[in-house]
Amino acid sequence: MAESAKRRFRHPIAHLVLCIGAIFMVGPFLWQLSTSLQTFGESVSVPPTFVPTSPQWSNLSTVFGALPFGRELLNTTVMTIARTVGQVLFSALAGFAFARMQFRGRGVLFAIFLSVTMVPYQVFLLPQYQIMQKLGLLNTLVALFLPGMFSAFGTFLMRQFFRQLPMEIEEAARIDGANIFQIFSRIMLPMAAPGMIALGVLVVIWSWNDLLWPLVVNSDPRQMPVSAGLASLQGQYTTNFPVLMAGSLVASLPVIVVFVVFQRQLMSGIAFSGVKG
Amino acid sequence: MNTVRRIRRRLLSLLLVAPLVAAAACSGNSGSGGDDEHVTLTYAIWDQAQAAAMKQIIQEFHGKHPNIDVQVQVTPWESYWTKLQTSVTAGTGPDLFWMTMVYAKYYAAGGGIAPLDDQIKKSKLDMSAYVPAVTKAYTFGGKVYGVPKDVNGFGLCYNKLLFDAAKLKHPDDSWTWNDVVAAAQKLTDPQKGVYGFVAPEADELSWYLTVPQVGGQVISPDSTSSGYDQDATIKGIQFWTDMITKYHVSPTLQQTTDTDPLAMLTSGKVAMRYCGSWEPEEIAAVPYGKANIGIAPLPAGPDGNRNYYSNGLANSMSAKTKHPDQAWEFLQFLGSDRAAEIQAKTGTVIPAYQGHADAYAKAMPEFDLQVFVDHLKYAQPFPASTDTAAWRDAATKQFADAWTGKAPVADVSRRVAETMNQALAKEKK
Amino acid sequence: MSGQGTATVPADPLTDKPAGQRARTAGRPRPPTRDSGWWAAVLLLPAAVGLLVFEIWPTFQTIYYSFTSWGAFGGHAWSGLENYRTLIADSDVFHAIVNTAIISAISLLAVPLSAVVAALLSLPGMRGVTIYRTLYFLPVVTLPAAVALTWKYLFNGDYGLINWLLSKVGIDGPHWLSDPATAIFAISIVGVWGSIGYNMVIFLSGIRGIPTDYYEAAELDGAGRVAQFFHITVPLLTPSIFFVTVITVINSLQAFDLVYLMVGQTSPAITRTETLVYLFYQRGFAEHDGGYAAAIGVLLLLATLILTAAQFRLQRRWVHYG
Repeated sequence: MAESAKRRFRHPIAHLVLCIGAIFMVGPFLWQLSTSLQTFGESVSVPPTFVPTSPQWSNLSTVFGALPFGRELLNTTVMTIARTVGQVLFSALAGFAFARMQFRGRGVLFAIFLSVTMVPYQVFLLPQYQIMQKLGLLNTLVALFLPGMFSAFGTFLMRQFFRQLPMEIEEAARIDGANIFQIFSRIMLPMAAPGMIALGVLVVIWSWNDLLWPLVVNSDPRQMPVSAGLASLQGQYTTNFPVLMAGSLVASLPVIVVFVVFQRQLMSGIAFSGVKG
Repeated sequence: MNTVRRIRRRLLSLLLVAPLVAAAACSGNSGSGGDDEHVTLTYAIWDQAQAAAMKQIIQEFHGKHPNIDVQVQVTPWESYWTKLQTSVTAGTGPDLFWMTMVYAKYYAAGGGIAPLDDQIKKSKLDMSAYVPAVTKAYTFGGKVYGVPKDVNGFGLCYNKLLFDAAKLKHPDDSWTWNDVVAAAQKLTDPQKGVYGFVAPEADELSWYLTVPQVGGQVISPDSTSSGYDQDATIKGIQFWTDMITKYHVSPTLQQTTDTDPLAMLTSGKVAMRYCGSWEPEEIAAVPYGKANIGIAPLPAGPDGNRNYYSNGLANSMSAKTKHPDQAWEFLQFLGSDRAAEIQAKTGTVIPAYQGHADAYAKAMPEFDLQVFVDHLKYAQPFPASTDTAAWRDAATKQFADAWTGKAPVADVSRRVAETMNQALAKEKK
Repeated sequence: MSGQGTATVPADPLTDKPAGQRARTAGRPRPPTRDSGWWAAVLLLPAAVGLLVFEIWPTFQTIYYSFTSWGAFGGHAWSGLENYRTLIADSDVFHAIVNTAIISAISLLAVPLSAVVAALLSLPGMRGVTIYRTLYFLPVVTLPAAVALTWKYLFNGDYGLINWLLSKVGIDGPHWLSDPATAIFAISIVGVWGSIGYNMVIFLSGIRGIPTDYYEAAELDGAGRVAQFFHITVPLLTPSIFFVTVITVINSLQAFDLVYLMVGQTSPAITRTETLVYLFYQRGFAEHDGGYAAAIGVLLLLATLILTAAQFRLQRRWVHYG
């Protein structure tokens, strides 16, 4: 690293602006944390309470008592994993086919995939609900993730990724007599890992946060993900702010942890989708 | 590169584990179907405060019928009806659920809830044990669609601390509208952010309590036309809007939307609020509320009239339940003397099963619950038609203009009457 | 799904056969794999079937439903253009379109804000980039439901932190979320707050793609940081700006969570905040009028197509592909 950078503090104005911005970005989280440990009285006091006088851990137990929260966290986890694995796997397979194979109807088929990415997903909602109903899957975990396992956007993203990989290795393998599946699974897939991670991370965020579909498809609290659970927590504790904040905290913590661990992959994933999308 | 490989390995293991997890998780909830011996029923309710009483009832029921398990599903009121209708339509709904007079006819006419006459006759259930008005509200075309659960009485909740500080006499049964206004004016203290009264825009907890007191009506007795264009009805509604726009003794509609009015009461921000018989439990759950809130009889109308619209709940059975026999067993127990006793003792509701009002009244010594019981004799049938929700929601939406003072109550109310009459005409088609 | 997991690959003689029949493209400049046909079908099958069942077919079904009327507890009948006639006259739909447009417009505020943040973070020798990046990105990964509840409390007219802070500078803040005049702005601000991090990451990578000699040359010419930002960064960033703009508008079209959780059906501000998707949910799933909801869905589809097309046409005017 350049020594000059170490020696003196540069760009003070930039830091000032960024710090003010950071307070705006992080402030709500700190407020949430503080309120989650307050009494109701403290949460509606004027001037506001910044540090709870004695931490009210009971708010957390209220949350877990009102909702099958542990179960809902598990539901969200299962939903997220299934959707992510499905989308990444199926998109990688199809993306590879579109990028690296020549077959009749490729152009037409790809155009169809591409046009599906333009359709807002609410348009699928009613019929998807009916499909789940016909399959007898309403109020099950499977209903939460099944339709979300397929993605035209993911296929498109993976196609872009496979297209930019060099041809040489693939050709060398072919000369060695490897068949297409071997080429795919042993050579292309490992090289495509960054792209798959990028897609995977996007799907994780999108899945974890999804509210509309779970709201529609599952009415049993035990089969809901945590996003819908929070919505019903609000229904029960309308303006009991400490309890609501405790619930929000518990619900968002897991993804924040995942984010901190996978930060680099996530950022590069988003950057990639931005450049190639 | 190293991290990539590590992540790949992790992803791979996820890939292998995911289907297993999914399979395990799914098999967990579908196992209860096939065998006839052991049945799990689901029972949907919307009030978390009553969940404990319901669980106790279930426990005792399960003791007598070890082959029948019952699971309670608590869904908050806001989404309860959305979910219920969707799931009942799909045939995946709960086997039994709470019903209100608002939706009863809609569900009965649409085939969402089952008529119970055959079962009632077979098991010789004595329907005369329940408050007759409630049974009547769940009877359509001579058929009974619900076993009455509870009845609602109302009272005036007030903050003893604030009354004492203002050196005011506590409210009693001599109070009428004028007393409320006078006290509210004295109790309001803008400096401290304290209001004397709270006037939410919530029909059941606001104008449904005052419209009958001045002889107004929300709907004609034959449920064919709106009463919102009658002067008396408008007067009953104006009681509430005046509190905000004329006397400035109540938080605004924006404030009551932002913060739950009951929470305002239990945190000392408002001194008086009209309360329902199911609410003391919630008030007692907050230490400040338990210590400082008193309950007085609901103030009478200007002429001493105490009539009000009373909603009572019933337990209904889904028309699509797969276990009608077991569901009926449980429904019968829900309507039993014992179930009423359990509910009364928790102080959560006044059972529709007659003879338990005393147990309810004594359930919470810190409050004078007798007030709610005494109020019951003034109950009038709850305003309802086949598709009540259609006009009721529209009315709530439109009355916002009167609450915010954007338009005079009379204008808004006549506009509501128009919308409501259109909706009622549509019902007849 | 189970079949895909097996890593063992079947012997190749079999696979060569169908490929030989299909390989008619030998003469193309970059010949992709030859032995394609069957394999392509196998690879495409899961995605194609999934999309067909869960997305393509439902799209047509929704279009069909938009011409039907639904019964309260199931069943639907052809009703021709009735839903669309109601749609045109429905003041809620009109409100929803206007509201959605307002939300989109305000949300676009996030684009310049995040561009500035990214530019500041890209200054040569800037320190603490990782920390800033993490903090700014936090809202993106937070459950929208949790975000909504937290901001709802912050925006509370009587006990919210925001109004308390405003009162310190002598401003009497409104009841942000239940006042019809302010609710939509409050919601949009939360939207902006939630999307700055995402945009920032895209801009950061866009800026990284700009050759440093441009800046060096500008510095030699005596251009300051601000001038560099407007004359080099912004023009060369236009592809990213375009992408972010498209994403922002499309996301705004889908706004639902915040309206559902922060305002809700009984609020006096609902007509001034309801969006098309909210209305879709309300009509289709709360009021069980699937036919009408389908018509709203078709409207949403048309709006998305028109806006996307418009943006791509406008793109030619101002996007600078280096």
